[in-house]
Amino acid sequence: MTIDYHAILPVLILSGTIVIVLVTDLFLSPRHRSASMWVAFAGVLATLVAVLSLIGKGDRPGSFGGSYQVDAFTIVFQTFFMSAAAVVLLISYRYFREGGFYQGEYYFLLLTSFLGCLLMPASRDLLMLFLSLELVSAPGFLMAAFRKSDVKGNEGGLKFFLIGVLSTAVMLYGMSLIYGLTGHLQLAAVSAGLQQLSGAKETLANAAILFVVVGFAFKISAVPFQFWAPDTYEGSPVPVAAFLGVASSAAGFAGLLQLMFVAFVHEYAFWVPMFVALSLVTMTLGNLVALQQRQVVRLLAYSGIAQTGYILLPFALVSADPSINHSAFQAAVTYILIYGIMNLGAFAVTTAISSRHPLLQIQDFAGLAKRAPLLAMAMTVFMVSLAGVPPTGGFWAKLLIFQAGIQRGGVGVLLAVAMVINSVISVGYYFLIPRAMIFEDAEDQTPFRSPILVTAVVAVAMVALLVIFIVPNAIYRLGEVTSLGSGG
Amino acid sequence: MVGVLGAEGAPAAASSAGWFVEHAWLIGLLPFISAGLALFFGKRTPGGGPVYGIAAIGAGSVMALGVAWHFVQGGGPYEKYVEWFRIGSLHMQLGSYVDGLTAVMLIVVTFVSLMVQVYSLGYMHGDVRYTWYFVVLSLFTGAMLDVVLAGNLFQLLVGWEVMGICSYLLIGHWYEDPANSGAAIKAFLTTRIGDVPFMFGIFALIFATGMTTSNIQVIGQTVAGGHVSLLLVTTAALLLFGGTIGKSAQFPLYVWLPDAMAGPTPVSALIHAATMVAAGVYLVARMFQVFVSADPIALHVVAIIGAITLLLAAFLALVQDDIKKVLAYSTISQLAYMVAALGVGSDGYPAAMFHLFTHAFFKALLFLGAGSVIHAAHTNNMSEMGGLRKDMKVTFWTFAIGAAALAGVPPFSGFFSKDELILAAKDSHTYWLAVVLLVGAILTAFYTTRMILLTFFGDYRGHAHAHESPRVMTVPLILLAGATCVVGLLGFAPLGAPFLDWVYFGGEPIPAVFSPLVAILSIVAVTVGIWTGYIVYRRWRTPDPLTRLGPAYDLLEHKYYLDDLYWNGIVRPIRDPIAAGVYWTNQHVIDGVVNGAATLAYALSALVAWFDRNVIDGVVNGAGSAMELFGRGLRTIQTGKVQWYAVGLFAGVILLTVFIIRP
Amino acid sequence: MTWQNSAITITTLLPIVGALGVLLVPRGDDRLVKGIGIAITGVCLALAIAIAATYDYSATCATPPCLQFVLNVQWIPVIGARYHVGIDGISMPLYVLTFLLGFLCAVYTGRYVPEPGRIKAFVALTLLLITGMAGTFVAFDLILFFVFWELVLVPMYFLIGVWGSANRQYASIKFFLYTLLGSVFMLLGFLALYFSGPVDALGKHTFDLTALTAFGAGGGYTHLFQLVVFGAIALGFAVKVPMWPFHTWLPDAHTEAPTIGSVLLAGVMLKMGTYGFVRIALPVLPQGAVAYAPWIGGLAAIAIVYAALACLAQKDLKRLIAFSSVGHMGFVMLGIATLTTIGIQAAIFGMVAHGVITGMLFFCVGSIYDRYHTRQIADIGGGMAEIMPKLSGIFAFVAIASLGLPGLAGFWGEVMALLGAFSPNTSTVAGLNVGLFRAFMIAGGIGTILTAGYFLWMLQRVNMGLAPERWRDHGLRDILTVEWVSWVPLLVLILVLGLIPSIVLNSTEQGVNLIVKIFGG
Repeated sequence: MTIDYHAILPVLILSGTIVIVLVTDLFLSPRHRSASMWVAFAGVLATLVAVLSLIGKGDRPGSFGGSYQVDAFTIVFQTFFMSAAAVVLLISYRYFREGGFYQGEYYFLLLTSFLGCLLMPASRDLLMLFLSLELVSAPGFLMAAFRKSDVKGNEGGLKFFLIGVLSTAVMLYGMSLIYGLTGHLQLAAVSAGLQQLSGAKETLANAAILFVVVGFAFKISAVPFQFWAPDTYEGSPVPVAAFLGVASSAAGFAGLLQLMFVAFVHEYAFWVPMFVALSLVTMTLGNLVALQQRQVVRLLAYSGIAQTGYILLPFALVSADPSINHSAFQAAVTYILIYGIMNLGAFAVTTAISSRHPLLQIQDFAGLAKRAPLLAMAMTVFMVSLAGVPPTGGFWAKLLIFQAGIQRGGVGVLLAVAMVINSVISVGYYFLIPRAMIFEDAEDQTPFRSPILVTAVVAVAMVALLVIFIVPNAIYRLGEVTSLGSGG
Repeated sequence: MVGVLGAEGAPAAASSAGWFVEHAWLIGLLPFISAGLALFFGKRTPGGGPVYGIAAIGAGSVMALGVAWHFVQGGGPYEKYVEWFRIGSLHMQLGSYVDGLTAVMLIVVTFVSLMVQVYSLGYMHGDVRYTWYFVVLSLFTGAMLDVVLAGNLFQLLVGWEVMGICSYLLIGHWYEDPANSGAAIKAFLTTRIGDVPFMFGIFALIFATGMTTSNIQVIGQTVAGGHVSLLLVTTAALLLFGGTIGKSAQFPLYVWLPDAMAGPTPVSALIHAATMVAAGVYLVARMFQVFVSADPIALHVVAIIGAITLLLAAFLALVQDDIKKVLAYSTISQLAYMVAALGVGSDGYPAAMFHLFTHAFFKALLFLGAGSVIHAAHTNNMSEMGGLRKDMKVTFWTFAIGAAALAGVPPFSGFFSKDELILAAKDSHTYWLAVVLLVGAILTAFYTTRMILLTFFGDYRGHAHAHESPRVMTVPLILLAGATCVVGLLGFAPLGAPFLDWVYFGGEPIPAVFSPLVAILSIVAVTVGIWTGYIVYRRWRTPDPLTRLGPAYDLLEHKYYLDDLYWNGIVRPIRDPIAAGVYWTNQHVIDGVVNGAATLAYALSALVAWFDRNVIDGVVNGAGSAMELFGRGLRTIQTGKVQWYAVGLFAGVILLTVFIIRP
Repeated sequence: MTWQNSAITITTLLPIVGALGVLLVPRGDDRLVKGIGIAITGVCLALAIAIAATYDYSATCATPPCLQFVLNVQWIPVIGARYHVGIDGISMPLYVLTFLLGFLCAVYTGRYVPEPGRIKAFVALTLLLITGMAGTFVAFDLILFFVFWELVLVPMYFLIGVWGSANRQYASIKFFLYTLLGSVFMLLGFLALYFSGPVDALGKHTFDLTALTAFGAGGGYTHLFQLVVFGAIALGFAVKVPMWPFHTWLPDAHTEAPTIGSVLLAGVMLKMGTYGFVRIALPVLPQGAVAYAPWIGGLAAIAIVYAALACLAQKDLKRLIAFSSVGHMGFVMLGIATLTTIGIQAAIFGMVAHGVITGMLFFCVGSIYDRYHTRQIADIGGGMAEIMPKLSGIFAFVAIASLGLPGLAGFWGEVMALLGAFSPNTSTVAGLNVGLFRAFMIAGGIGTILTAGYFLWMLQRVNMGLAPERWRDHGLRDILTVEWVSWVPLLVLILVLGLIPSIVLNSTEQGVNLIVKIFGG
């Protein structure tokens, strides 16, 4: 059993950081607890460097018998997750220092979740996938309920926990079935094994696939398994909501992508219809319900559900034609990356606002254009981008999915049409926030100073989206190199 | 067909046509320049700007004489074009076509316009928009000259419409009074109703040339060539005539012209004598080849419309109290003479043009004279005039000459031209028309007499202190009166009727013949008219004796209810209920759908949100709550929920499984 | 980089640079902001004129578009989009018009900054808008075209939403959603063109309009495909034009928008739709165009009469002008629907003329509102000629131009469109129904009468009559210098275009001939 230590170096570094954070927290006086953030931040940056150091070395021999694989897909997602981690840490700093939370524990838990994220894209067998996913979720349960005093927080956290556990059970059951049927855990082998099956076994395999999908559907909050998300997001600290909305679901997708485009790719005839339905229902329900929301975090939660629907669309395009699968896979990856940026930005702004307006109603944003021009401008960019309208990166993300859909033809066109209609509907709620910020005036005109770290994050995200709009190549390349989907 | 004719039009004839003919286009250009100068520098010019227009048009009239001389010497037509623009296969040219007809029209237009401008110096003295008035006046003349000179239908249309807008501006010159601006709008819209068919007629003719040109001569040759379907030509002719009906105020579109009296009187003189209304008749003459090549029905329509209008207007002229209204209806009626004459074909062509020629002078004279009277009496109503001949000798005598010409009293111009008209009707064997023309002559003589008597004879019934107008106004009257006396002789057969050598249709001029019969008939008609007129109106009586006609009088009083019909039957319905209805539809139906879509989306979202909260989520929470109802055991709510979550979840999954694994 | 391949890029993108510059100006220095706006747009206008001057109008091509000043470089290989800009005779007048109006609007802004100020954002957004509009006319890659096309949405949304009048929020979001809805379907149509389109040696598809045009004109797309995709693309264009019955966003947007917003909206943005038909929909999907032409013509005919009637019912001056635009664009669409050289030439001329005239009308209405602080015809109560003779004179002049008086710009576009409808393209390729189009022509003719009616009635109620007492000693100033400066060019153009239409027609002739050749015209 070979172990490529360079390949697993990021994981080692992050694990180390986690231990350090946990320990240092014990020795820090309450006043200096917030220092843990900087420790964690340093660790994350180190991990990021380690990940980047893997670039250009070509695909490496897998470690642990191929269960842990480093390739372009891994690097892209690990980079993404570590950047997300850095952002979440930065926006957490003031929020947790002033919110009177257990900071040390929080940073410990957060990093642990991100460790799961880090493992997810590299995991190439069912067991690893399962472990990573649990590693992502378990600390999440706690973090979601971190606002101990808050009833909503507790209820949301508990709900999240219960649903998470149960869905895990279902998924695990499915995985065990598959193992039983194929005798393999490694995805490639599973894929081959499943092709052998026929008759009752095949049907059973299909059922197993169904279970696995259901399990993941909970993680990525796809309708009808989304009901936990809004309550949980609303109940948890805003930075945690950011984590859940971006990293956690992205991790889910990272896993799902490998399963669907590698392990189960040959069974597409069975599961594609399922994803067609999932995608349609998810995007539509998410958008429609979002129209009703006036609390920003809930609104973002439902927008997240709708976006999940968009990301599910490429799955529904999988077919026997590798080139289409390739485009679909690219589209999904690219979308996840861009969506991560704009969603993190939106949550960052929300975090900033929450210090002054904890209720986070839309009208709390009123007049922000005068009170905090930069935040307002950035938030506008994020919302326009989420709506997928130029001049922002969100446009390219959507375009790629449309393109894949049209290329697929048939059902792809229908899905694309559904998605464009949904995008237009989404403008209806995304623009509520810019409207409040720019068209309306607040009762208190006092200038609004947001934490410097948050402002920095927001500015970076905004610039990133605008730059991506002008030169989308960079982000598209990332999508392109992750050629996992081209045939499996 | 197209290939033969090409796009450049007929080859320019007689290159050595002399300077004046070759530069005839200048006549049309000068007034535009003067209008521009007056517009931008008029206010700063001593005298307020009329000088530009008078200079330009004065020069123009001199050149017009030079042009005419070319044809007096028996010169041929001359044309000159430059490429204007290309659009697809259609080559549009800018240029001038000059023949005898053009020359005559040039003289008429420039001379009358000049008189009107000079006269206006006095009449409009101290007007609020003095300079502006002369700007538009020059523009108006320029537009008419463009119509006369144009060798290309679109070029003609430009002048035609610019003239329309100028008439709008002049009729509404005193727009402080809504009645005037209303009359202006009425004039523009009514004529435009005719212009649209005219435009389509142009389309048809361009189509006939294979979408290559709108050159009038080429079109003429094309339709004459007989390669064009009769239906197309006939349609084109009738559509073109629509333009005439509007501009020359023929039935059923003549209603705008009496209202056009709202403008300053000199403007009325210009509109009614030399420009605007003349343009309609001129159009038919200019495009006569089309009418001749068309099915006879086309010319019949022309003749019939003319005849109807002739009588309708003449009758209306009988009952007017406003002196300008009398003249207005007489104008309509006289134009109808020309239109009807054109309707009899190439025989009527020269006669009609000759009448147009003579009419221009005496009608201008009459209007300016009326203006002088109004200037003195401060009223338009003849009921408040009377006996003015003592105080206004010049005005009276000149006006009398004009009236005599209008009535057709020999030896004044109207007599000769009217003779020609009746003769033409007779020679072309359209006797019914000859009769109509004679009846018209009687009526004309009658209302002319009435007008003279009520205005200048009897005792003064007004309150103003009547006085003769200033020299600047009387001189044009005298000049016009002089012209009125002589121009008729140009068409007098015993004197060779040179006019007929200049203006004719077809190969060569029709030999002038003097028909004693016709002369006698018309003299009789005139006498009857004047005599009856004298009997009825020799003494002032109120109410007007004609009221004895009873219902017939009411009918005339209400202008055959035609205006009411148009106003209440067409204009008002469109302007108010229909427009409002359309807008309502726009806001509530079409836009309703749009807003409805948005509303629907929101309604749907509310529904789905409810569903999301109470069904999807409720399956889970509700299950928990249901458990509470049973309240079994000591489970806390939360843990109670746990099991039910599990139940709900697994149940769902199992259902799905069963659904998938159907045997 | 030579002038040939850089001119378009520089000219088109310069406003964005200006916008960034404006954002860097320290708070409160309004004069500098305005100065930058005027300077940038002025330079752009100069460059655009230089392009028009150095363009070789004699060059000929086999297939449309006949491009010059081309810059065609790799842009987004992953999706096969290239940065391909260039210009031909059809784009030229619209391109120049965009910068002319942009410049005049910047000048006008020097004096009139609508409530609530925020001059920096105002100028920046205007500049961004100009780039979007101008880019649409010079982009020859469908993705690039779409990007520019959508680029105008956000700035215009904020121009209306922030600087608009009472009902601005409703109007702005309506404008945004409606046009977005149209354009997303257009985008799907473009993607369909891409995947069903030509393939190069490497098996790569292309968004390049030149290639797609050659392919589509050669009958590359199947008939059914053309029907479906033309519908999708036409929807996007039709909303923008706007064609009846997709027009209801326009009156609201126009009525609420600030003056220069309306000027640019009417002057240029509507042309993006009609331009799209001429540039993309017709040549790339000829069979689709032939199939849809009668319907487009019909809707156009309806629009002409319908809009005129709606105008008669208007009480708000600005709304009236807005509705008149619907009618005028109806003439443009009718011309396009004839698929003849005359019709399409007329359409493009009509676009330019409408841009100049209606832009000018909105300037007038803006200034009238600035004086009276009301747009209600009843509140103005007539007599403007008495109080402000110059302003009312110009207003009357432009209104008369707009009702299509021969000799002024408004005439040729409309009359030639009707002439085109008299003999629509009946070649074996197009085979349009002559009788049907002549019916449309008659409707159009009636429309011209009604148009004259409502404009003259408007003038009677605004200019003429006696001024109400309340306005007499109100100190209403007649035209200001800034207005003269920003209006005279348009007034001159109105006259010049009317007298010498060849200015535009010569430029567009070859491009149009190439397009019509596809239809056997």
